[in-house]
Amino acid sequence: MSSEAIPRPIIETRGIGKRFGSFHALKDVSATFHEGQVTAIVGPSGSGKSTFLRTLNRLEAHDSGEIVIDGIVLSDDIRNLNAIRREVGMVFQSFNLFSHLTILRNLTLAPMRVRRMARAAAEEKAMNLLERVGLKTQAGKYPVQLSGGQQQRVAIARALAMDPKVLLFDEPTSALDPEMVNEVLAVMRELAYSGITMLVVTHEMGFAREVADRVIFFDEGVILEDTTPESFFSNPGHERARAFLSQVRHGY
Amino acid sequence: MNWTRQHPGWAMFAAMIGLLLFLWGMALPLAAAPAPIGPAAEQFADGARITVGLTLIAGSAGVLIGVLAGLGKLSNFWPLRWFCDSYVWLIRGTPLLLQILFVWLALPTIMPAGVELSDFTCAAIALSLNIGAYNTECVRAGILAVPHGQVEAARALGLTPVQTFIDVILPQSMRVALPALANNLASLVKDSSLAYAISVVELTMVGYRVQAESYQPIPVFVTIAAIYLILTTAFTTLTAALEAQLDVGQKR
Ligand SMILES: Nc1ncnc2c1ncn2[C@@H]1O[C@H](COP(=O)(O)OP(=O)(O)OP(=O)(O)O)[C@@H](O)[C@H]1O
Ligand SMILES: [Mg+2]
Repeated sequence: MSSEAIPRPIIETRGIGKRFGSFHALKDVSATFHEGQVTAIVGPSGSGKSTFLRTLNRLEAHDSGEIVIDGIVLSDDIRNLNAIRREVGMVFQSFNLFSHLTILRNLTLAPMRVRRMARAAAEEKAMNLLERVGLKTQAGKYPVQLSGGQQQRVAIARALAMDPKVLLFDEPTSALDPEMVNEVLAVMRELAYSGITMLVVTHEMGFAREVADRVIFFDEGVILEDTTPESFFSNPGHERARAFLSQVRHGY
Repeated sequence: MNWTRQHPGWAMFAAMIGLLLFLWGMALPLAAAPAPIGPAAEQFADGARITVGLTLIAGSAGVLIGVLAGLGKLSNFWPLRWFCDSYVWLIRGTPLLLQILFVWLALPTIMPAGVELSDFTCAAIALSLNIGAYNTECVRAGILAVPHGQVEAARALGLTPVQTFIDVILPQSMRVALPALANNLASLVKDSSLAYAISVVELTMVGYRVQAESYQPIPVFVTIAAIYLILTTAFTTLTAALEAQLDVGQKR
């Protein structure tokens, strides 16, 4: 088996389950994500998309099954956990920028604390990343001084500052005013083409169709469809997926 | 206080210099005053320095205690939670004077032989424990006010729980807790007067002695009150400026 031909699996989940009390949020979810792959995760509200994403960096602990990230089994072992969190970046719906720190310090905090980077090197890297997301001139401001779209681009840059192998996005544009959605999608599109592995929970079907290599459809805690965007959008296999798509199209 | 808000750095500097000049320079103008104030000028200055010393020592220790006990109250470990709850309950439910007397009279009996506690030390311990209990509630409220998304972002970036607390939770909770902590500190300037009961020669005790010798309570106590007012004003300016300094991330 040559490693050039087949991309390396970077996230493997095998039969993961998650309950909140008596509510079964994830039921036996298995999926493998390969290096460089961009996966759009779609599905109705409450279907477990966020929960799935959050088990991957253990913001939620799964109850059963196994998650392997870059060869490391995800468990409560704190060293494994820290190693995994260094490799897996996350972008939240509500940005969650550190409100007491400037934009620059938002980007340098984790590299300096976790990767033990020197301040000068961390700042240089941060400025390069801010340039990449088009916000170099905002480095000295505080998060509240930025628009939602700008904050989300900073949040993406902050995740990138740790050089993650995988980036998880949980509805990165859902909290934004419509006119700011595109600036964030543009940054994500550029990232996708740069070859980073991305898992994107999104309601932006246009983005999923255009940028994703793969679409996963969640419903009631299970993966109902796992296919290419072409096949998912033109010919969904399940009735639930068809209903979901027609509802989304109606909304737009 | 507008000026304080706009130039917090300068206001802090000015309040600190003003306080130092006042503490070490007040004897000069006071000495020029007629009896009974003039002859006792040095005593007034010494008393004021003791009062400020008690306030600064107990104030600092009290913040430390407040942070530790505030964290303890939020711990998952119930014996620790119970201990911190009991501490706050005990201190807030009993008079400060009793606490001071208790430390002064009871603590020496349980100290190992050879350890001598001065009256000043006893007063500082009692005042620290007292303000610490009040600070605990403020710190706890401050920590609870930090949005959970901030913690998740820090954890997702790979910061350890301790790093998350020091770099994210503590600075953000301080922004919320500071007005209340500042209030407690201003009360402490005044509460430290109860140390006179265990013969610490602080400002109130000086006033008591000078009027007892001169039989002129009115000018003596007016002078004492004026000195207290100047001290509380200096401390209030200092903390207001600190508040403004910490507030930068909050305003547009
Ligand atoms: N911490 C929690 N405690 C209890 N129930 C939870 C918790 N988190 C999620 N749930 C429940 O689990 C289910 C799946 O939630 P999840 O957030 O994963 O859905 P989602 O697919 O991301 O939906 P949305 O599109 O609305 O974000 C929901 O019914 C939700 O109420
Ligand atoms: Mg969600």
